[in-house]
Amino acid sequence: MKEKLEIIRELLANNQEIDASKIHILMLDLFKTQFKGLHVENYIGDYPTFIEPVYLGDKVKLGDDVLLGPNVYIGKNSEIGDYVQLTNSIIFDNVKIGANINLENCIVAKDSSLNFNNPNIKNCIIIGKADSEEDLKKISFSI
Amino acid sequence: MSDKEEREIQRFMELDSNKLTKGKERELAIQIEEDIMNQNEVLADQINQEFKKYNIKSIDIVGAIGAGKTAIIEKILEKLASKYRILVICGDVTTRVDANRIEKHNAESIQINTGRECALNAYHINQIIKNKDLNNYDLIIIENVGNLICPSDFILGTDKRVTIVSITEGEWVIEKHPMLFKMSDVAVINKIDLAEILETDVDKMINDAKKINPNIQVITTSAKTGKNIDKLIEIFGLEN
Repeated sequence: MKEKLEIIRELLANNQEIDASKIHILMLDLFKTQFKGLHVENYIGDYPTFIEPVYLGDKVKLGDDVLLGPNVYIGKNSEIGDYVQLTNSIIFDNVKIGANINLENCIVAKDSSLNFNNPNIKNCIIIGKADSEEDLKKISFSI
Repeated sequence: MSDKEEREIQRFMELDSNKLTKGKERELAIQIEEDIMNQNEVLADQINQEFKKYNIKSIDIVGAIGAGKTAIIEKILEKLASKYRILVICGDVTTRVDANRIEKHNAESIQINTGRECALNAYHINQIIKNKDLNNYDLIIIENVGNLICPSDFILGTDKRVTIVSITEGEWVIEKHPMLFKMSDVAVINKIDLAEILETDVDKMINDAKKINPNIQVITTSAKTGKNIDKLIEIFGLEN
């Protein structure tokens, strides 16, 4: 799993020329071939809802009433706010997702943050920081 | 069912959080509760259609912690895992103890940890099946979160709902949880091997289930000795 995640990570690092469809195919392949049997071992937070497979890196903080899964990877030191729902998504390291955001079929690059109320964000790659829907349009790429 | 029993069941249904609200807040609380129930039913119906489309048999197993839900599923898997392609969805507030047990019996298992929720709902199941190729399964068994109260609020779209109680829960356990038995197709009284030593009135338990739901099929089992597991499989409409 680490090797395939590294490939996606490198593709995201080149944010001048994002090949969204290639990244999407890699994500779907990862879910299909590498996610089976993944389950949660450690997190900081109070009993969220998990639907396997879900993988959480070290020191991931989860808010209240969070629902994760199926097919969710969250990298180390990321913070997920209250009432967040994540499905079929990869969140890399040091990401902050604010309260009440619903991400489906999305990839969020490392050090990104989303801090506004938008319950439904679907089918996109997010690289950077967004405090509003307008901001999000500038830092997201459709897949 | 008598009027008195109907009223009693209605009273159980009304013991909900909306009683903590007043005036407009109460109206809103009731409206939200109704919306949630309606949405669950719509989703459960869609799930059932999907299962039918792929010719998958499906069972929702409900019961208290320690009743023997996982043990009975393990016994069923021992007999059926080589004949059916089986997916077992295990619901628990936390841990993956049950999924680990199931995986030892050559069946695929998915653990859902519900955290603060005390029952699986149709959304949880839909999230799983929409991400699975249903061509790969003949049978889906859902083991609900262990308790006899919350699951009565949420149907999951399965062909059958089975409620398992055990002799060690006492002979009043069915009488005290009417809603679940009203909504179940099969009542299983497990740990029957302990009935004699605990002097449990099994006939009372059977009669209580039949009184609450005259259409319910009642069977006594022992997951420990394997007693009546074959009969249970037959009741599920599966070939042993």
